[in-house]
Amino acid sequence: MKAPRSGAHRTLAELSVPSEPGNERRAMEEVAGAVAGLELADPTLERLKTAVAEATMNAMEHGNLYRADAPVAIRVSASESELSIEITDEGSGPPTFDSETPDLEAKLEGVQTPRGWGLFLIKSMVDEMNITGDEHHHTVELIVHLDERAEGGK
Amino acid sequence: MAVRHLEVEVRREPGAAVLDLRGEINGFAQETLDAAYTEAEALGLETILLNFEGVDYINSTGIALIVGLLARARAAKRNLLACNLSDHYVEIFNITRLSDFVNVFPDEESALNGEAVQ
Repeated sequence: MKAPRSGAHRTLAELSVPSEPGNERRAMEEVAGAVAGLELADPTLERLKTAVAEATMNAMEHGNLYRADAPVAIRVSASESELSIEITDEGSGPPTFDSETPDLEAKLEGVQTPRGWGLFLIKSMVDEMNITGDEHHHTVELIVHLDERAEGGK
Repeated sequence: MAVRHLEVEVRREPGAAVLDLRGEINGFAQETLDAAYTEAEALGLETILLNFEGVDYINSTGIALIVGLLARARAAKRNLLACNLSDHYVEIFNITRLSDFVNVFPDEESALNGEAVQ
């Protein structure tokens, strides 16, 4: 269940990225530019960039099936207490993420595929992640708690 | 933003084969990385050092490629080391537990001298 929003959010940027391999870097750099005014600490910004890249890659690959005519939409907004990045693809049905928790030893033994790190990385890099979807779209929302930054949060 | 495809140079140092990595480690990098690792294996040394100094981006597919190299190293009873990772990617090596199996060093000199970061 999605948590109630914290405070009034103002939109910092609305972006669109074509679903082409490698474009997740473009997404993460554009989001980094959009949040520059928030003056996030470097480690927080690097974690956010990785989360954005992974969520965008998943949206391009599994949601939009790398169809060039199906862009990934990204909305960046912030309140006093949190930063929100919503990443929306044009997929239908339940959002697709590899739900298996990655286990490195299992991967090294060939029990798990070497892949499947995306969701794990996203969850590790931000404070909250929400996934919603309907018959036309999937949205992954990444949340960073801004009021915890000064207190040594994630 | 154009993709910076991975380029790798393989060289022999006393006690280790060194892979100098430059560019992005992502899905495009598999063929280049695997070929370079095979070249390093052919040098016949027990230790292979991945030098990330020229790498500015590793995504989840790139992590999977590194896991693949680690599996190859373990199967051949080789030591796989890493150096010159940024702080962010050291964190990712920690949370994925790659650093439990790949000793991470701040630079090439300390790697070749065996001074682990953690």
